[in-house]
Amino acid sequence: MSNSQKSGKQEKVDLQKGFTDYTKELERARKDENIRTAISRAVKAYRATTDSTMARYPQTPELAAEVREIKTNAVAHQEELLKQAMESVARNHGKAFFAKDKHEALLIASEIIGTGKTVVKGKSMLGEELHLREYLEGVGNEVWETDLGEFILQLKKDRPMHILSPAIHVPREMVAEIFSTFFQKEVKPDIAEEVSVVREFMREKYFNADVGISGSNVVAADTGAFVIIENEGNVRLSTSAPPVHLLFVGIEKIVPTFQDAMKVAEVTWRYAQYPIPAYVSIITGPSKTGDIEKVTTYGAHGPKEFYVVFVDNGRSAMAADNDVKQALHCLRCGGCMYECPVFQVTAGTFGETYLGGIGVIWDAFVAGGLEQAAPGIYTCLRCGRCVERCGMQINVPAMVGELRNRLTSGQSMD
Amino acid sequence: MATQPIEELGHVERKLPAVLEIIRENIMKHGNPLALNGTEVSSWAKNMNLPKTGDLLFYTGGEYQLLPFIDSLVKTISVVDQGSKLFAMAIGVRNSLEKATGINAEKIYASVLSQDKERYQTINTKAARILQSLGYDLCYSGDEELYSGALLYELGYWEDLKEYAPRVQRVLQKSGAKTLVCLSPHAAEVLKFVYPKLGISLNIEIKTFVELVWEQRYKLEQASSAPTVVIHDSCRLARELHITEELRDILTAVGIEFREAERSKEWTTCCGGPSKLLFPQLSHTMAERRVKELQETGAELMLTSCPYCLSALEGALEKKDKNQAVDLIEFLYRGIAR
Repeated sequence: MSNSQKSGKQEKVDLQKGFTDYTKELERARKDENIRTAISRAVKAYRATTDSTMARYPQTPELAAEVREIKTNAVAHQEELLKQAMESVARNHGKAFFAKDKHEALLIASEIIGTGKTVVKGKSMLGEELHLREYLEGVGNEVWETDLGEFILQLKKDRPMHILSPAIHVPREMVAEIFSTFFQKEVKPDIAEEVSVVREFMREKYFNADVGISGSNVVAADTGAFVIIENEGNVRLSTSAPPVHLLFVGIEKIVPTFQDAMKVAEVTWRYAQYPIPAYVSIITGPSKTGDIEKVTTYGAHGPKEFYVVFVDNGRSAMAADNDVKQALHCLRCGGCMYECPVFQVTAGTFGETYLGGIGVIWDAFVAGGLEQAAPGIYTCLRCGRCVERCGMQINVPAMVGELRNRLTSGQSMD
Repeated sequence: MATQPIEELGHVERKLPAVLEIIRENIMKHGNPLALNGTEVSSWAKNMNLPKTGDLLFYTGGEYQLLPFIDSLVKTISVVDQGSKLFAMAIGVRNSLEKATGINAEKIYASVLSQDKERYQTINTKAARILQSLGYDLCYSGDEELYSGALLYELGYWEDLKEYAPRVQRVLQKSGAKTLVCLSPHAAEVLKFVYPKLGISLNIEIKTFVELVWEQRYKLEQASSAPTVVIHDSCRLARELHITEELRDILTAVGIEFREAERSKEWTTCCGGPSKLLFPQLSHTMAERRVKELQETGAELMLTSCPYCLSALEGALEKKDKNQAVDLIEFLYRGIAR
C-alpha cells in the first residue's frame, strides 16, 4: 500500500526525500575505491570470457531466440503452468505450496522449519526479495549462507552488489579482515586460503543442518524438475545432506517441458559468461530407493522431505501488465549489469533488491513498489546497451519510460 | 477505502524532484526546456536569409543553443540541495522566478559566457552551410521553431507530450516540407518513433544531419590536415536510429583516418548526459570514464554527432584538452570554410 493511501488522497506524496537519500548512497558508491577497482576488473573479465564463450558456442544466440519464445509462451500461460507444476511436485512425493505474497511465503517457511533449527541456504534472489534469512533468524533459527559471496556479506552485514557475484565489491584484503575476526585466527589475504577456511567451517554445518534451502533457475511443469545452476558445490551439499530440502521459486521460472528447461538453463549460464557451470542439479523430489524388494522407500541418502514454495508476490500482476510483462523473461544471468555505465560506477546501489535497470522494474512490482523504486527508475540512462547484451532482448529503456510515465501521471499499481 | 468512488482508486499525486517539474513546465509554457525564447533560439540564422517554407526543413529544436545554459544550471544543482527552497528558486529560472526572491535567474543566464553561447549558436549556422554546400535547399521556421519534446518523453511526461506534440506538428507542417533534417538524434528519435505512437502523423520524412551528409559525401572536400579521430557514437544514433557506418563512411570520404574505441557502434558507452540533471556528479564520472575509453585509442580528436554527448564529453575533459571533443558539424565545417 502506498503512502498516499495511508495519509489520505488529498496529500501529495513527496518523493524528494527518497531521491536525496538514494543520491547519498550513489555518491558513497561512486567514491568507493573498492567498488571501482573490483568492478573494473569484473567488467574486463566478463567481457573477455563472454567473447570467448560465445565464440566457442556460436549457436547460443539462436538458442536464446528459442528461449524467448518459450518464456513469452510461459508468461501467457502462467496460471496453468503453476497448476501443472504443483501437481507434478505432489506426484513426485514432494509437497507444493503457493504463496501469493511475501507474508504468506514466510509463514509457510516458518511452519515447515519451526524454531531452534540449523539451516543451510544457497544463494537466491527470491530469498533476498523475501528477506528469508533475516526472517528465519528472527524466529529463532541459525541460518548460514553457503554461497561464498553471500557468506562474506552475512558476516559483513552488507547487501549484495551483483546478483551473481554478490560480494563483487569486497577485495581479498577486506575478506581476510572479516574472516580473521569471525574465525578468531589469522586469515591471510590469500584467496585460496580464504576459500579453504570457509570450506572447512561449512562442512560440519551441511551435515548437522536440519533444513537446506535453495532457489531454482528454471522449473519444468510437466515433470516437476527443478534445475539449479552453480559452481561452488554448496547447493549440492545444502540440498542433499540435510533431511529436509525447502525450495523457493518465483512462478515466472516455470516453463512447460523438461526440454524447455534445459534450453533455458544453457542460455542462462552462457550469458552469465560460463561455457558450462561446474554443477547443474536437477531435483524432482525426496531421495528414494527401491533396492530392497522393489519397495519404494523415501528418504535414502538425500532428504526425506521435499517442499516447494511457489511465490507470486507481484509476478502475476506483471504478467497481466502488457507494458512490463517481458521483464519476467529475465534469466538473471547478470550480463546487463556489467554493460551498464551506471552500474560500472555504483555497482548494486543502482537498484534495491534487484539490481540495475531490469532490477528497478522488478523492484517496482515485487520489492518495495513504484514509489520506492522511483529514484532507481530515474537513474537509468535509457542508453540501451543492456538490450544489446540481453539474450532475451528485454527492452529495459522502454519499460523505464513507461514507469516514469506512471509516476508522473499519478498512476498507482495497487 | 471502500467508500471511495472507484475512479479515484489507483490515482496518487506525487511530487518529484523540482528540476523535473521545471523542465516540464518550461517546455509546456515556453516551447524550450530552459525557457529560451524564439529569438534566442533562432539568432544564429539572422544573416542566413532562409525561407520559412520549402521541401527540406532544417530543424535545430533549439538543442545546441541550450548547451551552455544547461551547464550553468547543472553547476547550480551541484551546489544546492535539490530538496531545498533555494534550489527551487535557483532553477526556477524564468518561469516561477517572479514569485521567488533572492536569486536572479536572469543573472544565471547572463553568467553564461558569451563565447560559449556564440560557439553553440554557430554550430547551427555551420550545419546549415554544410548542407547548402552539398546542394540542399533549406527552409527554417525561425523564431517559431519549437523544441521537439524529447525530454517530456525521456522524463515520463507522456500526458504533457500528447498535448505538446500537436503544437510542434503545426509549426513543422506550416513549412510545407516533405523532409525534415534534425541536428539532434534525440529530436529525430522522438519525431520519427514517438510521435506516431501518440497518433500524430507528420507526413514528413525524418532524417538526421548525418544521413543527409552521407548521401552527398562524395561532394565533400578532402580534409587538408589529417588528425587522427575516434568516433563517439551517441546512444540514440547508434541503437535507436541504427546510424553507425554512415559516420565512418563520411570520414573515409574526406580522407580521415579513424580509430575505434573498445566499445563503439551498437556497443557504444553512454556519455552519462541523461543523468546530468538529477545526478550531476554521477553523470560527470560516467563522462570521464567514456573520455578515458576514447583517449585510450590515442586519437587526437573525439568526434560526436549529438549535442548532449558533445557537452558531456567536453565537460569531462581536462582544461588543456578541452578542444579534443568536436561535433561532426564543426569538424566538417573546417573543410568547407577553407
